[in-house]
Amino acid sequence: MDPAQQRFDAIEVGTVIPGRPFTVTTETIQAFGDASLDYNPLHFDPEWMEKASFGKTSFGGVIMHGMQNFALITRTLTDWLVPRGGYHRRLETRWLKPTKLGHTITPSARVSAKHRTAGGYWLQFDVEVRNQDGELVATGDALAEIVERVPGAAPGQ
Amino acid sequence: MNELNLESFETDFWKDVARRKTWDGIIPGELRETRPVTLTKELIAKFAAGVGEDNPLYFDEEYAKKTIWGGIIAPPSIHILLMFACTTTEDWMRSPGTINAGQSWFYNVPARPGDTIHMRGTALDRFIRKGRLFVIHDNVFTNQRGEVVCTGRGWTIRPE
Repeated sequence: MDPAQQRFDAIEVGTVIPGRPFTVTTETIQAFGDASLDYNPLHFDPEWMEKASFGKTSFGGVIMHGMQNFALITRTLTDWLVPRGGYHRRLETRWLKPTKLGHTITPSARVSAKHRTAGGYWLQFDVEVRNQDGELVATGDALAEIVERVPGAAPGQ
Repeated sequence: MNELNLESFETDFWKDVARRKTWDGIIPGELRETRPVTLTKELIAKFAAGVGEDNPLYFDEEYAKKTIWGGIIAPPSIHILLMFACTTTEDWMRSPGTINAGQSWFYNVPARPGDTIHMRGTALDRFIRKGRLFVIHDNVFTNQRGEVVCTGRGWTIRPE
């Protein structure tokens, strides 16, 4: 049996992968802005956000970058995948509620299915992110492949 | 080299706001203006730290060498940075009040230090739903060998 198949067989459908809680502060928003170069005033200008309305929605203050959520879901998956020789292949997300300053969000993932194709060993995941009140702020699904070799050229080539 | 100069990056997203396309002017299929960006170890480490990615695979060469990746890679979510690093101040993704409604990304080959990443970005579609103006954007990021690094789509609600 090849090692990728062994690792694939060892993973059970239904396994829950808890993520780490993340509390949003002006410092985390600034760090995310400096890392992503996304300086949209949605995340940085409290005065503008007090007044601004977005169709029927008014946020009443700055909101966290939606992609911070995306990065935390990715981290949750890759923290679990990397030691298992798992290659993160896909992530699809929908944002359901804004996350504001002081909120604490926690992502989690669940192995929803395993699929063997002619070319690979695939894991499917359901993902969700909840806030401190247990409300769903994001849902999505993901796909990973258990690989023997990472695709693409080796480093330095 | 196409190294990113963080010192000169325009952080005021109101600048050039009048030159950006609004929902009415965004034409699905039309290419967004982009430029290639070279990823350095420092840029990858800074991105990882800023978004909360603390896996040593993204900054510790000795650790990364022993994994199946064979060396440092960028976090898969590096497209979050590339979306702004590869586009101009006139790009409509910077419009103040652009709300992110959802995203879907597929990852092909990892991005590594020294790679020069090219972006091809378009709007795929625009529509009105529940009184809101939506644009779907569609992107392909490739490396200097022409290999696809990742492809992705985002649903945005446009400011009126």
